[in-house]
Parts: sequence; C-alpha cells; structure tokens
Amino acid sequence: MVATSRPRTIAAAAPHEDAALLRHEAVWFARYLVDAIPEAALVERYVQANARLFAGPPTAGDAAILAFLHAHPWTLALLDAGTAFAHGAPLLRQKLVVMMAILEATPDFVDQTSQVDGVGLPLLAWRLGRAGAVAALKLVTGTALAAVVTRGTR
Amino acid sequence: MTADAQVDVIVVGSGPSAVNAAYPLVEAGFTVRMLDVGNRDTTYEKLIPDAGFSELRRTDAQQYRYLLGDEFEGIGFGHTGAGAQLTPPRQYVCKDTERLQPIASQSFFPLQSLAEGGLGGAWGAGSPPFSKADLAGFPISLEDLQPHYEVVADRIGVSGARDDLMPFLGAQFAMQPAVEIDSNAEAILRRYATHRGSLNRTGLFLGHPRIAMLSRPHRGREANRYRDMDFWSDAGKSVYRPRWTLDELRAFPNFSIVSRRLVRTFEERADGDVVVHAANVDGGGTEQHRARTLVLAAGTLGTTRIVLRSLGLFDRRVPIVCNPHSYAALLDLNTLGQPVRDERHSMAQFCLVHAPEGHLRPFTVGHFYSYRSLLLFRLMKDNPLPFRESLTIMRHLAPSFGVLILQHQDHPTADKHCSLVASDVGEDRLAVSYDLSVREQAQIDAIEADIARGLRRLRCLKLKTMRPGHAASVHYAGTLPMSAKDEELTTDKHGRLHRTRAIYVADGSVFPSLPSKGLTFTMMANADRIGCHVRSTLRA
Repeated sequence: MVATSRPRTIAAAAPHEDAALLRHEAVWFARYLVDAIPEAALVERYVQANARLFAGPPTAGDAAILAFLHAHPWTLALLDAGTAFAHGAPLLRQKLVVMMAILEATPDFVDQTSQVDGVGLPLLAWRLGRAGAVAALKLVTGTALAAVVTRGTR
Repeated sequence: MTADAQVDVIVVGSGPSAVNAAYPLVEAGFTVRMLDVGNRDTTYEKLIPDAGFSELRRTDAQQYRYLLGDEFEGIGFGHTGAGAQLTPPRQYVCKDTERLQPIASQSFFPLQSLAEGGLGGAWGAGSPPFSKADLAGFPISLEDLQPHYEVVADRIGVSGARDDLMPFLGAQFAMQPAVEIDSNAEAILRRYATHRGSLNRTGLFLGHPRIAMLSRPHRGREANRYRDMDFWSDAGKSVYRPRWTLDELRAFPNFSIVSRRLVRTFEERADGDVVVHAANVDGGGTEQHRARTLVLAAGTLGTTRIVLRSLGLFDRRVPIVCNPHSYAALLDLNTLGQPVRDERHSMAQFCLVHAPEGHLRPFTVGHFYSYRSLLLFRLMKDNPLPFRESLTIMRHLAPSFGVLILQHQDHPTADKHCSLVASDVGEDRLAVSYDLSVREQAQIDAIEADIARGLRRLRCLKLKTMRPGHAASVHYAGTLPMSAKDEELTTDKHGRLHRTRAIYVADGSVFPSLPSKGLTFTMMANADRIGCHVRSTLRA
C-alpha cells in the first residue's frame, strides 16, 4: 500500500486525459494527500469517478493547470494552493476532492483520514499553527505559479 | 384502461401524512387502498453492515459503495443546495421527481419524493408540536390537534425532555425519555446552564429536541444503539420512517397498496363515487380506481398538481409558503482538543429557541447537529486551503464542528405563489415564484445575528452561513389552505376541499402558514385528525 518512490514525470498531455494519465494522477494525489501509493483498485475507482463526474471538456485555465501538472507533478502542492482561491471550482481541486473521498472510504487509510480528538489544547494549537503556516507559504507561492501557468487563458 | 373494485377510501401517497391519515380508517375496518409510485432503495440498504460508523470505516472494504455511491453521487461539487444533505442510501427518496414532477422556478428548489414513505425516508425526525401561537390564523385550535398529537407520538415514538423548552415545545404523555446527546452538545448545554439567566433574558433557550427517535424499545422497534449510522441506515428502526407504519398497515386484511402508480386526476361521479385516474409509471397506460372518499396526501406539490389538473385550473395561481432556512457552520470552542465519545446518534443533538418576546409570540427554532458521521472531504471542498494542510486542520477541528439549522416562520404574500402549466411534451410543470420581501429578509438577518451573539456566549463560533435555497428544507406548504370561508382551492377545517363532496387533503397543502418549527409532526397529527373525521363521515 505504501511506497516511497518518486512519482514519474511525464510529458504534457492533451486536456482530455486518457486513462493512463488519470492513473498517474491517482498516484500523485494519494501521495500528496496521505503519503501513500494506492492499490490498483483505488486507482481504477479514481478513473471511473473521473469518467462519471468530469465528462465535459475542461476550461482553458483548467487544461493549462492539468497540463503543467502532468509535465511537472512535483508542483502539485503549489498548484493546489494556487487554485484554492480561484473563482468557481477549479478542476484540479475537484479531482483532489474525488481522490480524497476515495481514500476516506477505504479502510487502508482510515488512520490518515479520521477525525482526531483528545490531543489537548497545546498540541492542537501547535499542529494547527504549523499547518496554517505551511498553507500560507504554499498559497503565496502557488498563487504566483498558477498565475504564470494560466497566463493567456483568461 | 382498467377498473378495480370499489373501496371505501383511496389514499394517494405513502409518506408521513398518508400513512397517518390511513391508520384510523384501516383500524376501524374500512377498506383502504393506497396508490403510490413507491420507489425504494434496492442497492445500498443491503450492503451496509450492522456496525457502528467508526467500526465499519476500519473494517468494511465495500464502504465506498454506500459512502460515495455507485455513480459517485455522494460526491457533490459547488453550492450547498437542495438534496446536499442526502447520503447515497437516501437519494432514492428524490428519484424520478425531476422527470415526473418538474418544477419551473428561479427561486424555489424543493426536494420532492415519489418514494415509499415519501420525504419521511430522509426526514430529520424533529417533532416539535405547534403551540397556540403557532396556530394563529388556522381555523383549528390546539385543542383540536392535541389528542392526535398524543396518538401520533405513540405511533411514531417521540423522545424528549421536560426542560427549558417546555413552554415552546410542549410534551406528550407518550413522550419517551430523551436520547443521549454527544460530547459537543453536553459541553454547550453545560455552558448554557451556567449562563442560563442572562441568556434567557436575551431570549435564548436551549434544551433537548423533540425527536422521533426511540430511547426505549417501542412497537417492535429498537432503542437507538448510538452507532452514529442514522444518516446512512435504518437498522434497528430507531428513527421513525413512514415505512414502519406502512408495515403495520399491511398486516390488516382491509388495507392494500398499489405501487408504481402516479395519480393524475380525480373526478366525483353523480352516483356518489370518486374515480381516480392513475398512470402506471412502468408499463404506461392509465387505470381507474373507485372509492367512496379520496384522501390526497401526495405531498404539498404532488397534491397541488392533482387538484389543479383535476379541476382544469391550469395557470391558476395558488399561494405557497416555506420555512426560509440556513445552515450555520459552528466551531464549539468548549471541546477543542478534548476527547469526544464515539457512541452517539447522528440526529439533532440539541434544540435552540430564540424568543425575545416569550413563548406566546412567534419565535425561531434551530437544531444543532455535530459533524461526525460524514466524511471530511465534504468539509474540505469548501475550504480555500491546500488540501494536505486542510486535511490536517479538518481532522483536528471536525470533532468540534457543528451545524445549526435555523428555519424561520413564513406567511403567504403576493410574491409567493405557484401554478400548473400544461405541457404538450412530458409532464405538466409547476411554476413556482417565491420571493421574500425586503422586510422579511431583514427580520431573518436580525434574528440570525442575534442568535450568533448568543452562540458566542456559549463559546460557539459561527464560521459561515449557507442558504441552500428556498424549499430545500422540504418544509413547504399552504397551496390549498384550510379556511373558514367556502372559497375555491381552499379546504375546510376537516381538510375537505371546498366545493367537493368527498375529496380530502391531508398533507402540508392545508397549512395556511408555517411557524418556525418543522411541520412534519403536526402534519401527521393533522392527517390523523382528518382520517378520524373521514371515518366518522363514512360511519354516518
């Protein structure tokens, strides 16, 4: 279930992804969200969910973001942050929600996705503060990156 | 076209009103035939293990099917609108309604149902009875309803407590002790207890909700097992669903139910019979059913369609009311970082009443739900943070998250109406126009701001307010209001449609206005009252 290999970098793709690209996305997203590589069944579930939920062609902005991600998967965290405040619901964020939902509804990842209680206020404050600070940094950097990537598509 | 043997009463619909209108008639020995589309969940119910939410998340490899849905229908994007509260195992409740009961509106987005048990299949089970103040403008009094509240409270099983909310919510003799509340609600109610005096002076009162959920075994149903599965499963039957009453009715030989039928029109014949024309939703074609009396309980909008179509009153405006409502996302600062109990039920944990002018004047009611047996992705999708950090933050804050569902009173105005528009292709559309006046919206805003101030004193921080749209609460009514005047498209105090002989309306259509409380419990009591009246007319 858990692997430590780096995600593969692949060439930029057409906006309407094929199944192979979606499989890569599933792996990148799971690594990003819960530090694990999902089983093949979860990857296929992600592919099916994309077919069901994202049937139409993406907007130019979404396509640019996804193409950049496919070419540079290491930028996922920044692109996620960079599209967090975007108007509407950016496709990348929707895809991450789908992967998150799939991971949550899987016993393998229950420890990484369950609610946490009883940690006490000091530890809670530390964890929230740290997550908030990292998020702020990513938001600043990611917004700049997303602006560059989507330049010319608006 | 076929004709079935005549029965004493035809009841249209199988929801909360229909089953409770039918009960006294069936019990008295009259032959009753129920006509309904009767959609059911044939997919998910059998998949859900008999286990608690936390346990099945750790153990059940098939959980993705009912948590997300086979068509991923449990993953929604965008605005929190009508139906957002329905988990995949509950979505059958609204199946086919867009096709068979189309609505045309820019401002009114109702959930409708063609399911067995109607909207009661996904009901939140709140059961506050109306007070004298709530019934102002009705041609019936609390004394008319009280015996039927008692009967229905016993039939459906209502739990609650005799606490600070007694003046607002009352109590039935049949009321069971309150179900246990969760750690969030306990902490908030403790804080309330220490500030009771000053909060009450500002008009804020808290207590246990009246809820159709069992704390003790009753009528073959189990007490709630605190497994936090009430949004997903009806195992144990602790939460009332109209299907439980339907099961009781099926045991009577004089009761029958014909499913897969969509009633389209009725007519009163000169020989005294009522003939109902129903379409077979599977095979096509129509058939006739004959009875001495007809009780319409197809849900407010369903009944309105049938009445307007039967009388040929296309494009005729009738009034409509609904409870404007909002979801306030709350963070309970009392429980941050604290351990919380896993054993809990999923429904409303406490009830809040905002009554600055006391219980004899109109007041506002809210119900608090904790965010426990829902997945975190639903919170994360609305959170403008990178998902990885959002996951960390939500995992730690979610045990202290809650949602306060507020609903406001409503009265008919010239800006709230609907009409049936004939269609050459497909089903007739119900065109609904619903707009609050500036004054009504300002009143709602002022009340919600006042409540938010009170919540801050309880250490509950309001993070966000969501307005899912008018009628998404499913609390809509008032299209064929009870009236003392003999006017077309109104009903008399017994629910009989004026200018008809034996056509009764037993659902929300007959409510002239809506107080802030949910109407379902009163709708059931009123349906029982109408059923009892029909029984006496048949005997006569």
